[in-house]
Amino acid sequence: MKKIFFLISICATLLIGCDKEISLVLDNNEPVLVIDGSITDQAGPYFVQLSMTSPINNPTRVIGVNNARVFITDQAGIKDSLEFVSNGLYRTKKIRGTEGGTYNLEVMVDQKKYTASSSMPQKVNLDSLRINTFPFNGEIRYSVIPVYLDPVTLGNSYRFIQKINDTIDPTFHIFNDNLNNGKVNQRPLRGGDEKLKIKPRDNVFVEMQCISNATYIYYNSLDQQSGAGPGGGTAPSNPPSNIVGGALGIFSAHTVQRKTITIR
Amino acid sequence: MRKILATFLLVISLGLYCLPLMAQQNVVLSGTVRDKKTGESLIKAVIRIQELPNAGIISNEYGFYSLSMPKGNYVAVVSQVGYETLVQKIKLDSSVSIDFKLETKNQLREVVVESSRKNDNLTKAQMGTETINMSAISKVPVIFGEKDLLKTIQLLPGVKSAGEGNSGFFVRGGGADQNLILLDEAPVYNATHLLGFFSTFNSDAIKDATIIKGNSGSQYGGRLSSVLDVKMKEGNNQDYTVNGGLGLISSKVSIEGPLQKNKSSFILSGRRTYADMFLKATEKFKDNILYFYDLNAKANYQINAKNKVYISGYFGRDELGLGQDFGIDWGNKTGTIRWNKIISNRLFLNTSLIYSDYNYNVKLKNGATNFNINSNIKDVNLKQDYTLYANGLNTLRFGFNSILHTITPSTFSGTVINSVAKEGRNGLENALYLTNNYRANNQLTIDYGMRLSMYTLMGGDVYNIYENGVVKSSVKLNRSSFGKTYANLEPRITTNYRINEETSIKAGYARNVQHLHLLSNSVASSPSDQWIGNSYNIKPEIADQLSLGYVTKLFKSNFEFTAETYYKYLQNQIDYKDGAEINTVSDVESVLLYGIGRAYGLELLLKKKEGRLTGWIGYTLSKTERKIDGINEGKWYNARQDRTHDISVVGIYELNSRWSISGVFVYNTGDAVTYPTGKYNLQGQTLYQYAARNANRMPAYHRLDFSATYEKNKTKRMHGSWNFSLYNVYGRENAFRISFKDDPNDPTRTQIIRTALFRWVPSVTYQFKF
Repeated sequence: MKKIFFLISICATLLIGCDKEISLVLDNNEPVLVIDGSITDQAGPYFVQLSMTSPINNPTRVIGVNNARVFITDQAGIKDSLEFVSNGLYRTKKIRGTEGGTYNLEVMVDQKKYTASSSMPQKVNLDSLRINTFPFNGEIRYSVIPVYLDPVTLGNSYRFIQKINDTIDPTFHIFNDNLNNGKVNQRPLRGGDEKLKIKPRDNVFVEMQCISNATYIYYNSLDQQSGAGPGGGTAPSNPPSNIVGGALGIFSAHTVQRKTITIR
Repeated sequence: MRKILATFLLVISLGLYCLPLMAQQNVVLSGTVRDKKTGESLIKAVIRIQELPNAGIISNEYGFYSLSMPKGNYVAVVSQVGYETLVQKIKLDSSVSIDFKLETKNQLREVVVESSRKNDNLTKAQMGTETINMSAISKVPVIFGEKDLLKTIQLLPGVKSAGEGNSGFFVRGGGADQNLILLDEAPVYNATHLLGFFSTFNSDAIKDATIIKGNSGSQYGGRLSSVLDVKMKEGNNQDYTVNGGLGLISSKVSIEGPLQKNKSSFILSGRRTYADMFLKATEKFKDNILYFYDLNAKANYQINAKNKVYISGYFGRDELGLGQDFGIDWGNKTGTIRWNKIISNRLFLNTSLIYSDYNYNVKLKNGATNFNINSNIKDVNLKQDYTLYANGLNTLRFGFNSILHTITPSTFSGTVINSVAKEGRNGLENALYLTNNYRANNQLTIDYGMRLSMYTLMGGDVYNIYENGVVKSSVKLNRSSFGKTYANLEPRITTNYRINEETSIKAGYARNVQHLHLLSNSVASSPSDQWIGNSYNIKPEIADQLSLGYVTKLFKSNFEFTAETYYKYLQNQIDYKDGAEINTVSDVESVLLYGIGRAYGLELLLKKKEGRLTGWIGYTLSKTERKIDGINEGKWYNARQDRTHDISVVGIYELNSRWSISGVFVYNTGDAVTYPTGKYNLQGQTLYQYAARNANRMPAYHRLDFSATYEKNKTKRMHGSWNFSLYNVYGRENAFRISFKDDPNDPTRTQIIRTALFRWVPSVTYQFKF
């Protein structure tokens, strides 16, 4: 589907599209707390980043929230009180993430309580990465296919983080098994944007995360809003989050596997 | 159900009871109004009797008329826009059939939009109705020089464009899927080509188009906002002619002529774009495909004086592709067989059998693997429409319509996925209607009627029943068995009161019900948007519209001023949950949200219909909102197409017999959109914070277009004209999209980027006829 919008935007560009930077008077909202926490099947510590939103015209940076109390509890009842590192970053001390485990996050900031819960799915093995080539507008383009066998039960979701020679690809690569349940994946990671083309001899790093459905909806919503369809894809809104209490962001328990491939 | 039927029957019988008793001594004058030169039947011609100022009638869609009056000698006056008024003496000793043949006006001047005739005391009480004169629209400048019905109606108050250069339109706050677009009675599901830049209507093949903004007669139904009723030409039954146009983007040709002189005729019309030829010339894009074509064909045969058959068809297709690896194509097919039968000189029957098919296919190929998406909506439609010219004061129209819909939503197949054959669903849509045009006296006309529309779920895919997004139960029906039936009564009334020769006031109420819904998660329409019928969760959409109007003629009838206000309330509107994956989810109904809507506004239109300068100024002040559980915290928000002010000015000036110039100016408030109210950094990426939905505005849109038409002196056979036009004369960069992104030179700074599509699009078109 994305590809259709991609094509539509190419057509639109053919029809003499023209970009120009403008200034707009924008409303500024009250700053809101942003929580970005994760727990994985790798060895700890795990981190929770707390920050505040800022006006559009200010420089983008992490405005850390340093006076919070942050806890993560697992289903065995182990409660970990996270320690403050710096600029809104908090670190676990003892908790251990495992496949199938459920984790509860609790954040207290200025007497306000925010909670979230996430269950880590079973890991689906990332067997390998392979290179996919296709002709596009008179040249050969490259993309990478993560090879894994989706389990027979429906409802697996995945997120991939792609780095090309250490440059992170800003695209949200979000897959599920609606169409290819129980099959070996053959869908490539879209090859970034024009500026981040994959070329021969590039090193492509891929991190595969097996994520919960809530995390899927969160990132899929961000991906849809970044769509380049005429008029800008779907109407943007804050992505649906699993955090209760009015904060933005996501708390995700997921598995992690990493692999690198060199394009040749 | 039984109650509804009973009410309907009661209304029908009341309607008939109200008819004054038919006078026995009257005789009937009936027949057809035609173009003298081409034999083409003339729709909505006005037939008056000089001696009887109260008597009069308008010819129907097939040019037929019927009038009853006492025996005697009369003078009949027949008029139609673009034609010389015919004055003919008639001796009525008994009932007779007379065909009136009108001659086209010599002068070239033609008016683009014609809502009322000079003698409009006979016009029906219809409100919010405009008819487009197809031969005159060629003088209105349009983008790419391709004269276009849909872009011309967007210049009318209350009708808004779906976007820059786009043929999609919104009427009085309704969605793009809430317009019933009919081509020779067949519904057209996607009326645009090339992602909206062209309409599917080849103007050379079109005879007449009427848009009714919500207060349509009971014979129409199935969409909430409007009816766009497009009639194809019948073809010249006197002589062969060839028409054509050569443009920079597309060319077209039509051939028409008699099959049997005076009896039958045909027209064949084709069009193709050739933008892809330019692509082929470039190294970079040479493998890309981008074109559309369409074909219109129609034939009619007069079996005898009382029976006539029409067969018409449309076939259009778009193809887009990137090399061998990616392609998308879509198109409409429609076919109509109609049989006109004059049962008696008072009773006219038209029976139509209509087939309509819209489908799209997406193909992705990569080496040995491939992936396809297909979707399809098919209709088989049977209609019977009776017109009973009961007496001079009452014209009744009644009939039924049955449509079998077969809807197959996006189905995926390919080597790399589990091909799930979705069975699709059937739905049976039935309607019964009755409407009466009652002329109480010379001043008061009332159109009132009732439509009973029913939609019955039929077998195919499983129907899940959801409660708060969770499946509660499922229903599996066999292909031919029936499930739940939705039945709705749609009362409609419009009244027209003539205060004096120049001025009248109008009032109307209408309920419209829609049983098919377009699911789209993108702001602009995409060929891959899916249609879905009612189900156990999706209820029929309902719109109630109340409107008031005022029409007056100014300056010796050279100008006409119309003011209309409306209030519309919408129920059972549909949207998606945020972040829902609507295309691949196994049951799309699990991610739908429902709500209500409201729209209200004021439309002003000042038209100049006579003289060397013709044209109009239109202004709309309006508000359109939606309220959907699960969106914007369940509070009212602006619909995307909510544009407070909308102005259009159209002028055509005849310089001399060869040259005419024209201009269009449009201004509208920017679309309602959502801009971020803050930002934050998450995992190294800039993300945006949003508040209320669609609380912000795109920059205002305005544009001036200009065109000049040169017509060569008509020789005996050959007639040619050149049209030069410039779209966006002052090159305004109207915002097509506003996006927010990191400045590449300083990633901590946010850039606001405006994307504009068209600046200065010149075009030349050569139009010929021989």
